[in-house]
Amino acid sequence: MLVSNSGPDTQSRAAVRLLMQRLPGLSPVETGTSKEPIATADPPILRSAQIVEGSAVRAIRIPGSSRETASGFGGFLDGTQTVQVVAHHQGMPIVIGSVSAAVRVRVNRRMTTWGHQPPRVERAMYLPLRYIPTLTAVDASSVAAQANCRIVDTSTADRNGEYPSQHPAVLLDRAIRAVDQQREELEDRLAEAWCARGEAPLFIDGGISRTASVASSTCAIGVIKSHRTLYVQGDALAIVMGLKRGERSSIFRVAPRSRSSVLSWYLRLRAPDGHDAMWGLVRVEVAECDRPSERADEISRWVMAETTPLSLPDGRWDKMAYGVRDCEEFLRAIS
Amino acid sequence: MSDALGRVVATERKPNTPHEFHFWTAIDSPVGIGTIVRVDGAQPMDGQIPHIYGIVVEGFSYTDLQSPMHDVLGHDGLPTMAGYASTERAEIRLYTAAVLRQIPEEPLQPVPMGQVFLAEEADVQIALRMDSYLREGANTGIPIGVYRAGGTDAVIYLDADFLLGPEAAHLNITGVSGLATKTSAVEWLLASLFKHFPEDKGSIAAVCFNVKGPDLCYLDQPGKVEETDEVLYDKLGVEPKPFERVEYFAPYTAKGLALNTFRNNEALLDNVTPLTWGLREVLQFAEVLLNKDDVDAKADALIDFIKENIVDKEFRDPVLTKTHRVQSFSDLDAWFRDVLQGMEKKDGESWRTHHVATIRKVRNRLSNISTRCAGLVTDSGAVSDLPFGSFADRTVYVVDVANLEEDAQDLIFARIVSKLREHLERRDLGVKHLVVFVDELNKYAPGDGADTYVRKMLLDIAERGRYLGLVLFSAQQFRSQVHRRVVGNSGTALFGRMDADELSTPGYAVLSLATRTKLATLEKGQLMIRHPHFTQPIFVRFPRPSVMQGREGAERYPQASDISLDAAILRVLRPLDPTITLPWVQEITALYTEEEVIRARNATLLARPDNVKAYFAAQFRKIVPVQTPARPMAASIKSAPENDPYGF
Repeated sequence: MLVSNSGPDTQSRAAVRLLMQRLPGLSPVETGTSKEPIATADPPILRSAQIVEGSAVRAIRIPGSSRETASGFGGFLDGTQTVQVVAHHQGMPIVIGSVSAAVRVRVNRRMTTWGHQPPRVERAMYLPLRYIPTLTAVDASSVAAQANCRIVDTSTADRNGEYPSQHPAVLLDRAIRAVDQQREELEDRLAEAWCARGEAPLFIDGGISRTASVASSTCAIGVIKSHRTLYVQGDALAIVMGLKRGERSSIFRVAPRSRSSVLSWYLRLRAPDGHDAMWGLVRVEVAECDRPSERADEISRWVMAETTPLSLPDGRWDKMAYGVRDCEEFLRAIS
Repeated sequence: MSDALGRVVATERKPNTPHEFHFWTAIDSPVGIGTIVRVDGAQPMDGQIPHIYGIVVEGFSYTDLQSPMHDVLGHDGLPTMAGYASTERAEIRLYTAAVLRQIPEEPLQPVPMGQVFLAEEADVQIALRMDSYLREGANTGIPIGVYRAGGTDAVIYLDADFLLGPEAAHLNITGVSGLATKTSAVEWLLASLFKHFPEDKGSIAAVCFNVKGPDLCYLDQPGKVEETDEVLYDKLGVEPKPFERVEYFAPYTAKGLALNTFRNNEALLDNVTPLTWGLREVLQFAEVLLNKDDVDAKADALIDFIKENIVDKEFRDPVLTKTHRVQSFSDLDAWFRDVLQGMEKKDGESWRTHHVATIRKVRNRLSNISTRCAGLVTDSGAVSDLPFGSFADRTVYVVDVANLEEDAQDLIFARIVSKLREHLERRDLGVKHLVVFVDELNKYAPGDGADTYVRKMLLDIAERGRYLGLVLFSAQQFRSQVHRRVVGNSGTALFGRMDADELSTPGYAVLSLATRTKLATLEKGQLMIRHPHFTQPIFVRFPRPSVMQGREGAERYPQASDISLDAAILRVLRPLDPTITLPWVQEITALYTEEEVIRARNATLLARPDNVKAYFAAQFRKIVPVQTPARPMAASIKSAPENDPYGF
């Protein structure tokens, strides 16, 4: 997932101008402020997971992994999002969020856009209608229609019927979370479409457990680069942190609440010597299967094979496959 | 219409301008340096979608790799490992094109964004403004070659009005030696000109100076035409056959027996004419052979005096022992001798204001000419020349000076071009347009060095020839070293494969680096063309000339080796009268000197009489056969009696 921090684009400026016609007190923000996804603010945690391969987590050298190993991935899925505070009305943040997702397939070693599902780009304006009483729902709809974007109310009541605080930071968090969810939805729709066609294995940047059809598909392989949540504790943590290049951990089952259960393991893509402990460390997610060890070895070989070419100059190049970077560059170009 | 092959792109760093634009293509698109493309603008202007035509002048390729070091790291420093990478990096083919033409032409704006298409034949005609002279009624197009790119095969035409005048004129060819580009291109272009030059524009002929090798010596002999060339000939509307009418001219060797040309094989002599000049012809161009050190003002005055008062006139003077009529170098020498002897007798130092030293000097220099240009200049004054006044339409006249000394080459060039010019000025040459082809311009019209007579003549043709119908087709290896006014006045320029050093000279700075690189690697049969209608140089292919190449001709028709006087006479007379045999020649010439025999031959060749035998025999002075007189019988001497020693 790519988070852009570029300034307001032409479309955003047009939307703000339309809004200013209806909200005389609106203060536009000239230099667009980009916000990171809310997930990065979650506290890092350790979670236990059910071990599927053996009785304890151990380091396993991946057999048959070499530079000559061919990757079995036929496509790469990733999404991007931009969140910009474009104006505020009496302190209430008005945010424009843009999300996009695409599948890029590999044909004759070159990346091209998947022909069956076009890349998705969506844009929405996030504003707390409850705390801007001068802006009626009709006005908001009119602005949305003219600016060619959806309006999302960030001040609706939650499941418990409670309205959010009027604190601008809370409202901004809500907007960011909404954008984040919108991106995930786009990604999930594409992943479902890919799995429904049963094409070649798809390298998904991130987890696969959000939708049941993807989580159960043998076509979907999720590769997670961030480790805010580590599914190992105690001695197992040390073993994972001590993985050498070309080694994986034992397979464990990740079964978060409200999500589908998937098999997962840690894999070291690059030697961490001289770097932090998470250097080149990814977590792989696949659907439940009968012979998980063999599957994990095979998938690990594929993921290792995707370490070239390097995805530099991206700062996450130690964990990022070149195909994922290609997706992000493609989405940057079209969104 | 074909699919789009690219899209115009412009950034702040690399913006499009009215004369240049950028576009990208798929990696496997058939675009290269020299490809002509068409841009269809996205927004109409005054209700018309703009079309922009351009030619690719530069290409770029790069990937998303930020530093080469990243690639090294990615493959652990082992290049062989790169082949195993699952994915190729994203790669771009970005091209820069120079604008050839914009439609509409006004207002002239920067090239807009739009789709890029490979130019088709009709597009090429518009792009190069050929539509103006290929339209019904104009039709002055002369095919020069075929432009090829992708699936497009488009004939490229030069405008006859801009190639042979009066709008612009002259053509210059540059290219390295040894690739047969320059000569081949001229041979092909002459064939195309003769075929396509509009009848209503009048007659046309060519005079080619063969300055080296046998390349131009077999223009009337068929050469090998490959299948691919036949396709080109068909496309270009020219029949692949040798020139129908070719006349060759060459002086004799110094000995005067055989013609001094590669084309002196007996089988090819029927259209070879000797080129010989006498005193009158040479004296007119003495300046060519006598440099400024030789001819000061005093000597010049004496030469003028000789030209005006001596040559071809009855001349009497008290100093002289007899009346002189000077018609040849021999006569002139006799006249000099008489003058000098007369001055010696009178013990005078000057004669008619000319100092004796000046007279001796001029005598020495002029007499020397017949020696320096032996074979061309005859002592006898016999003249055999080009058919000035009766030049024939679509005929090539080749003057072979390849084996001559530099002085003789200069003299031939200067006199022939001067005569051509005189006749064209008087409109009595026989043809309305004349192409003069001169190779080795580096030698004859160098940018630096002495201001020679030949260079002055070339400059004169380049600057004023087009008004007369005298068109210069010139060639050289190093354009940068030719006089700027000669190449600058050439409306059309052709470039074959070029030397890298030459390409690095300032004259080629207007070409992009990629175009220069392409020029340095051009194949045989490829040319880059600059023509007044084309705003950018164009690359074309032309067919191999359908005439015998020099090397092949030299092998098939070996040059005749030194032959006897009788055989030489037989060789030149037999084409005039096939009944002449060697014994007949030997019988007629047996009693005469070599000089007399050669003089008789020259006279016969010049006259081309009906009865060759009789005419040839009549050229010799009567000689009474030598009869050894019988020794008169002397009266016997009476023997003296032994006893009478006194005979009494």
